[in-house]
Amino acid sequence: MCGRVLIMKKRILAAFLSLTVVSSVLAGCSSSVASSSGSAADMKSAANVAASSKSSRGDKVTLTVWNEPDSNDDLNMYLQAKKATGITVDVTVIPESDYSSKLNQMISTGDSSADIYVVWENDLRNFAQSNGIIPLDDYLKKSSIKTDDFIGAVSKLSEGLGHTYGLPWCAATELLYYNRDMFKAANISLPTNDWSYANFLAAAKKLTQKGKVYGCTLPNTQTWWAGIGGAGDQIYDPSNGYMVIGDGAVSFVTDCYNMVKAGVMPAPSSDTADLFAAGKAAMSWQGSWTIGTYADKLNFDWDIATLPVNKVKYNTLHTGFYTINSKSKNKDAAFKVIEYLMGEEGQTINSKSSGNPSAIKSIADEGAWKVDGAKTIKNWNAVTDSLAAGTFGYVCLPSGVTNNAVSEFNAALQGQKTPKKAVEKASQYAKETIGY
Amino acid sequence: MKHAKSVGVSAKQRKFHNNLTAYLFCVPWAIGFLCFTLFPIIFMLQVSLTNRKLNGISNFIGFANYINMFHSDSFWNSFKVTIFFTVITMIITTIWAMILAMLLNYKQRLNGIFQFFYFLPSVIPSVALAYAFRTIFGKDAGLLNALISMITGSNVAVNWLYDSHTVYLAVFFITLFTYNTGQMMLIFRSGLNDVPRELYEASDIDGASAFWKFRTVTLPMISPVVLFNAVTGCISALNGSFALLYPLAGENGDPNRMTQVLSLLIYKEAFSNMKVGYASALSVVLFLLACCFGILIFIVSKKTVYYEN
Repeated sequence: MCGRVLIMKKRILAAFLSLTVVSSVLAGCSSSVASSSGSAADMKSAANVAASSKSSRGDKVTLTVWNEPDSNDDLNMYLQAKKATGITVDVTVIPESDYSSKLNQMISTGDSSADIYVVWENDLRNFAQSNGIIPLDDYLKKSSIKTDDFIGAVSKLSEGLGHTYGLPWCAATELLYYNRDMFKAANISLPTNDWSYANFLAAAKKLTQKGKVYGCTLPNTQTWWAGIGGAGDQIYDPSNGYMVIGDGAVSFVTDCYNMVKAGVMPAPSSDTADLFAAGKAAMSWQGSWTIGTYADKLNFDWDIATLPVNKVKYNTLHTGFYTINSKSKNKDAAFKVIEYLMGEEGQTINSKSSGNPSAIKSIADEGAWKVDGAKTIKNWNAVTDSLAAGTFGYVCLPSGVTNNAVSEFNAALQGQKTPKKAVEKASQYAKETIGY
Repeated sequence: MKHAKSVGVSAKQRKFHNNLTAYLFCVPWAIGFLCFTLFPIIFMLQVSLTNRKLNGISNFIGFANYINMFHSDSFWNSFKVTIFFTVITMIITTIWAMILAMLLNYKQRLNGIFQFFYFLPSVIPSVALAYAFRTIFGKDAGLLNALISMITGSNVAVNWLYDSHTVYLAVFFITLFTYNTGQMMLIFRSGLNDVPRELYEASDIDGASAFWKFRTVTLPMISPVVLFNAVTGCISALNGSFALLYPLAGENGDPNRMTQVLSLLIYKEAFSNMKVGYASALSVVLFLLACCFGILIFIVSKKTVYYEN
């Protein structure tokens, strides 16, 4: 009798465990759940909840982005968007290193949790082609957004898509940062916005104090392409989406190799210290967004200039595009928010917060992007000059391709292969990858 | 007769019910295995025959991914690096774990504290460990270079993680502190405790040296444990290499792809290049490589492992 009771208990336990596992698997695999059972009161209550949630959903949109909103409420454009439109903007921050892949996965699974995606340049075409984002043409017809006032490079990027799928949230560029104190001490004329590449090489050599100070920091994952574009390579061919590098890349990599060998530039390493900010490098090529980072925090006199002019005046533009998720249930509310963010007020707040100019020329001319704290900067024209010469180059290529190329270039700087071989390998890998 | 028949039926029924109960208890594991192990493997095989991108667009392309893979310089580089990394990691972590276990096997005071400190690095997650060592092995701001500079009195700036002559030294040194090594040490310790003392006493009587005792007594007696640790070391090197190498070398396995194992290449192709189909094909190759390693180890073990029965 006891044995039979024990066996019965075991069976019940086994059945319960199986049911639990099956239920959890089904729950994990399910998408949305609609409740349809219960008493009349329960159903009415459920309808009320659905109605109120619908209305509250209509008053709230979710936006994905890779950086935190400004901690200062006055400079938090999403908070200000709520005040202006009455729509709450729930910001989902996804780490920059995972941003593109995460968004791709959300598109692939038809995720409807986000209404507005801030999309990177290389993803705009992909998302449009996979119907992950909607065209904004119908909304723009009735809108006050000045689409005819965008900087030229932005308009060019949307060509070939057939419709406007995204609106640029800013237009960041790349600049030369230099330590004015070091230049004065070495008695070298300060960089100007038409400073030649040859002058840059000579100044970097003269400013180097071996073992103490480098003439210039190593190009980073962004500014490698500024050097290669400046040396005459196209980098990105918009007609077929391929990477185009050759003699220009070989020339620039060779120059960097020579500078590393002479101790003018540091060798590639795992160190992540900012040598320029630490006063260990006289010059640095970096994004314009670094102005806000440096502001008044550096303990030396510093300024900016456009990147030195080699064969071509070149720098890469960086932006993100406000797009609307095709699975969004709040498209109208989402566009209302985008309209505010792209308007004069939204763009001005964004400029003040990020230090990046607006992609709308008339708003950029107002100069709200001039970071208040950066009091040592005299050459603010460097930003507008860089914008005028900027182009969307490497940012339109897959990050795996461009990172691979930078890795090849760094191997050349270490003497592990010739610059020519590095460029060949980078091109070969790009060919294997693009157009998959 | 009737009573005998009913007793027979009852025994049969009881056996059936017992078996059913046993199978029911296996069902939760089976469901988990089907959903979280077998299904992903089959799905991976299916996706490897497509050009699926991360945004979901997918078309059947047959074996094109495999053909492209075998023509790819990056793949062959990663394949060679994976085999090299796995074999060397397996050897040095096994040897190091055995040395630590033998040290702990001596009857000495504060043995527990030694064991604690030997095992402590193993409880640190691989990613945290890798970032810590990245700071230590830095060129201009690294702790190791600062220490050497202090001792030698000159400015030492060895580029440990970016110099082709030192990167493997640094990486394999770090593998000595991973969780797998600590686990192996504990398993070796347990194995060493099971070696009969009489064998050592008999060896002492015969005048055997410490090395001879290790070679002819200890090693054969713990050979099943060595086999187990070799297999787990191999699997750990294949699976755990990503968590260790990504923070140290990035997805490109710098310098010059010298540390770009297959798991790094899979991550790069799937999440940076969005080529999920191709990454799945690479995963199939990694899976087959792991199987080959396992089979090879078991073939070698047939000749080298001693079982008492």
